[in-house]
Amino acid sequence: MLDYCFRTLCCKGPPPPRPEYDVVCIGLTGSGKTSLLSRLCSEATDNIVPTTGFSIKAVPFQNAILNVKELGGADSIKKYWSRYYQGSQGVVFVLDSASSEEDLEVARTELHSALQHPQLCTLPFLILANHQDKPAARSVQEKVFINAPSTPHTPYGALCMMDGCTFWASKSLPVKLGRARTFCKKLLYSYDSLRVSKSWGNFHF
Amino acid sequence: MPMGRRVYPVSSNSQRNQQPDSNRVLTQLLVFLYCKCLWRGLKFVIRKLTGRCELQRICYNNKPGARRTLKIESSLKCSKHELLQSAINVHPDSVEKTIDDIISLKKINPDTNPQLGISLQACLLQIVGYRNLVVEVEKLRREPYDCENSAHEEMLMKLWKELRPDSPLSGRISKQWCEIGFQGNDPKTDFRGMGLLGLHNLLYFAEHDKATALQVLHDSLQPKHRNVSTEEASKMSKAEWDKKKFDKAIGYSFAIVGINITDLAYSLLVSGALKTHLYNVAPEMPSLVHFQQTFCYLMQEFHRFWIEEDPCDIMEFNRVRTKFHKRVLKQLKNPDMALCPHFTASDLHLVNL
Repeated sequence: MLDYCFRTLCCKGPPPPRPEYDVVCIGLTGSGKTSLLSRLCSEATDNIVPTTGFSIKAVPFQNAILNVKELGGADSIKKYWSRYYQGSQGVVFVLDSASSEEDLEVARTELHSALQHPQLCTLPFLILANHQDKPAARSVQEKVFINAPSTPHTPYGALCMMDGCTFWASKSLPVKLGRARTFCKKLLYSYDSLRVSKSWGNFHF
Repeated sequence: MPMGRRVYPVSSNSQRNQQPDSNRVLTQLLVFLYCKCLWRGLKFVIRKLTGRCELQRICYNNKPGARRTLKIESSLKCSKHELLQSAINVHPDSVEKTIDDIISLKKINPDTNPQLGISLQACLLQIVGYRNLVVEVEKLRREPYDCENSAHEEMLMKLWKELRPDSPLSGRISKQWCEIGFQGNDPKTDFRGMGLLGLHNLLYFAEHDKATALQVLHDSLQPKHRNVSTEEASKMSKAEWDKKKFDKAIGYSFAIVGINITDLAYSLLVSGALKTHLYNVAPEMPSLVHFQQTFCYLMQEFHRFWIEEDPCDIMEFNRVRTKFHKRVLKQLKNPDMALCPHFTASDLHLVNL
C-alpha cells in the first residue's frame, strides 16, 4: 500500500514486467507438489488437500514468473497428464525420496515416460527429490531413482537438472538448447534462491 | 515449438488509470475518517434522542437471528469500552456475569428492560460458541491421522463398514480403499491438511445421513456413457472407442471429494462466512454437530451441483468447486437465510436435508 502511494505520488510507472514461462509440475501423489508451490507463493502449507484434477499458480521469482500447471498425482488423474503438456516450456518433476522401492519404481516409470513424450522431450526438466528431511530419504547423489546412464548420450532430448548438477542428455539438439539453457539458468537461479531461503523445511540438499 | 511469451508494458493505460486511482484513495480516506470520528458522534446524538444505547436499539429493532447477532457482534467489537470489546472472548460460563456488567456499565435499568438481558445473553452465547467451535475444529484439523492410534483406526474401519457393509476388507492396506474414493492403498496419506476433521466428517455423513452418502457413493462409481459425436468416433480405433464409452468418466471419488468439501466448510467457518447460517440455525451455542450437519448439506448440494454442471471428467473438479464455493458464499451473504435446517441426530436419518 505504501509502495503504491509512493509511486502514485512520484508519478512513477508500474515496475518493469518479468518474462513469464509456462511450466507443468508432475509427480506421484504425496510427493509434495502442492506444498512446494504454495511455499514458493508464500501461502500456508498446513491445510493442503490432495489435488483433484489440476490447479494453476503463478509463482513469482525475482527475474521471472512461472505459470505452473500442477497436475494431481493419483492413478485416476495420471492418465490425463499428457493432455496438459501442450504449450509447456519446462517440466518440474517432484518425487518423494523417502518412499518405498515400489513407489520409486512407479515414479521412475512416470519420469521416463514424461522424458520420452513428444511434447516434453525437448524441454528442460527440473527433478526435485523431496522429503529429504525424512530418515529413509535417498540422497540426491544416489542416482538410483533417476537411473540415468553415466554416458552423456541418452535417447532423451531433454536437459535434466537435479540439485544443480546439469547432465547433458543429447547432442542432437544444440540449437534448441540455446533457449532451453537460458530458461534453465533462470530456473536454476530461482532454485538456488530456494536453497538459501530459510523457510524451506523439506528442501535442504 | 512453444514460443516464449513476453509481457509487454502497458504504458498507454497507466496514465489514464492514475486519475481514478487517486480518487479512490481519497474516497477510502474519507470513509476512514467517518468511521473513526463522525460515527461516534452520530451514536452519541442518537442515544440522547432515543434514550437507548446501541445495544438496546439493536435488540429492540431486530428479531432473534443472524441479523441481530451479527450487529451485536460488530457493536461490541467496535466499542470504546474494554469490557465490551473483550466480551466476545469470554468463556461460555461467564456470559451471564458479563452481560450483567455490560448492563450496569451502560446504566440501563434491568427492571424496565427485562428482555434485554436475555436477548443479549442469547446473542453473546452464539458469538462465543462460534469462536469456540472454530478453535475446536482447528484442533481436530491439526490432529494428523495416526496408524498407531486405535481410536483412529477404529473410525476408519467403521467408515468402511458403513459404506461397504457387504464386502469385507481384505486388509488394512488394500486397493479396495479406492472403491470408496481414496487415492491409494492407505487412506492415511489422503487426510493431509484436514487431518482427523476429514475422517470425522466423512464418518458422520456415512452414519447419520446414510441414504445420501450411499447414493453419492453409488453415483461416483457409475461409468458414464458419454455421447460421443460421430465425427469423433470415426477418428478413433475400436479399442479407444470402447474405452471412451465406458470410461469411468466422471472419476468422482467419494472420499477425496469429502475431504475437499471439509476444506471448503472449514474455510467458510474460519473466515466467518458461516456465521449467518449458524446464528440462524443454532439458537443455542453452535457446536461441532452443527458443523458436521453443514458438511452433510454441502456434500449433498455439491453432488447435485456436479451433476448439473455435467463436467467431462475429474480434471474439471477445481473449476466446479470454485463455482460452488462462490454460490455458497452468495447464499451466506443474506443474513435472513440458513443453508439447511438443524436436526437432532436421531431425526436426521428421517429427513432429507
